[in-house]
Amino acid sequence: MIIKLLRLEYTKFKKNAVISLLVFMFLLTMPTVIFIGKEFKDVPPPLPNNEVFFTFPMVWDYQGYIGNWLVFFFLGLISVFIVVNEVGYKTFRQNIITGMTRQQYYLSKVITVVALAIAATLLYTVICLGIGMYHTEGWTMSDAFYNSWAIPRFFLMSIGYMSFGLFCGFVIRRSGVAVLLYLCYMIMLEPLIKWAVHFRVIQNNTINYYPSNCIEDLMPFPLYRFADMVPKKDLDFSFLLTYSQATIGSIVWIAIFLGVAYYSFMKRDI
Amino acid sequence: MPVLQIDNLTKRYGKIKAVDNLNLTIDPGNVYGLLGPNGSGKTTTLGIILDILRQDEGSYQWFDGQHGDHARLHIGAILETPNFYPYLNAEENLEIVRQIKGVKKQDFNELLEIVNLAHRKKSAFRTYSLGMKQRLAIAATMIGDPKVLIFDEPTNGLDPQGIAEVRNILKRIADMGNTVIMASHILDEVEKICSHVAIIKNGKLLATGPVGAILNDDVTLELNSGDKIALTHALHEMSTVSAISDKEHWVECLLDEDQMSVEELNRSLFERGIILTRLVARKRRLEEEFLAITQNA
Repeated sequence: MIIKLLRLEYTKFKKNAVISLLVFMFLLTMPTVIFIGKEFKDVPPPLPNNEVFFTFPMVWDYQGYIGNWLVFFFLGLISVFIVVNEVGYKTFRQNIITGMTRQQYYLSKVITVVALAIAATLLYTVICLGIGMYHTEGWTMSDAFYNSWAIPRFFLMSIGYMSFGLFCGFVIRRSGVAVLLYLCYMIMLEPLIKWAVHFRVIQNNTINYYPSNCIEDLMPFPLYRFADMVPKKDLDFSFLLTYSQATIGSIVWIAIFLGVAYYSFMKRDI
Repeated sequence: MPVLQIDNLTKRYGKIKAVDNLNLTIDPGNVYGLLGPNGSGKTTTLGIILDILRQDEGSYQWFDGQHGDHARLHIGAILETPNFYPYLNAEENLEIVRQIKGVKKQDFNELLEIVNLAHRKKSAFRTYSLGMKQRLAIAATMIGDPKVLIFDEPTNGLDPQGIAEVRNILKRIADMGNTVIMASHILDEVEKICSHVAIIKNGKLLATGPVGAILNDDVTLELNSGDKIALTHALHEMSTVSAISDKEHWVECLLDEDQMSVEELNRSLFERGIILTRLVARKRRLEEEFLAITQNA
């Protein structure tokens, strides 16, 4: 059943220009963007030099942070498009008329997202190992996998962004609005809400538990860890979640997004 | 065992009842026309029984419930517009339908021949004319040899040639002994293709039954004579005549042909001293029946 649904999704979208382009861009940028790091000759302390971007164990963090943006943008948009495109073509309803149950249809989208997340995580792992092995002198297996908890975190991060994408697609349905909500919420809306709620009303570390923040903190900008160690004047709490906090927070949000999307799809007219 | 049983179905959009307490039973082999003006609730009804729309009240059951939630795998249906992936060609689009239906791999050539699309099977769906799109949709409904076919306004928006082609295909499908449910506001279409008809207006079922029963045996007569008033008077005295109405140039009435032939009526009037100057007998058409039924509602 899982294979059947996955094959169906592949048949639907293999010739879709927008989705093909997004996949291509993701495959192109994932292994290359990190090399922009070569341009940063002067790195801030406590980093010794720009080589740390590429050597074990830090390569997992830097490539992960880059993947964070690329997954958010390219794969996230794919997860919105695989729903809203079908709404636009009305194949959304035709698939049901033809005989899929609503559960099967919903499941086919979730399975696609999981498959994309697995593929992206494999790619991430291969790239990190490749770059790390090339740049780290005298590496051992334990060096290579010292930071390998990054692998499941990368996977969870991918599922996180894409489940928000499915949520936007299934709940909003209208193509433009759904894409806009997906991009704007993550980039603008959430910081705005945080500012409005927390800097005015309650100032504590619940500010870190917003969905975009939880998911981002699975693969944060590595220098934030250092910055976070420096004592701060205005804040009496950390501005980064620990990995276990971010993991639990993300899982809760993923459950909420997928749950609401499912409920909305099952109950409404299509 | 009925193919479809609909009980007390109601669907509201705000204050408007799109479907109002609808009951309908469709038996195997019926070619059922769902007839009603635009906005009467035909598509809404079809949407509910295809699990696209959620009803507010009532229920329906396909095939006595034997296929459960998978009943639609045994139904081929088009609702409103032909819906396909615009960037895929005819074969690829039919392949998606095949995968969903879960039937074995097949060559679509024969199917595409029936709907006269074989020559364009490699063109992307978006390059098709409306008629071609509609024909592809009809081909898609036949994949997996479904027990029931549902068509919603199948000739809507087509040019005369397209209408003729689609009607021929539908007639052939109906003649193959399939159960067909067809929504239409075009009476002629229903009259030509269907064995049964259900007339719907404002979401309510006004009449249902075999086309022959709805289209009753009464003959409509157009009569005139030198003295129209005497003619009208004489007609009122005859028990076999009903629905007498004064048209400008003649008097129109219904004659129960089981009781009295047109010839007997003519003789009877002659015996009463009325010489007819006009006598036109015509079968009452579904169109008149339809107007009579929907206007009374």
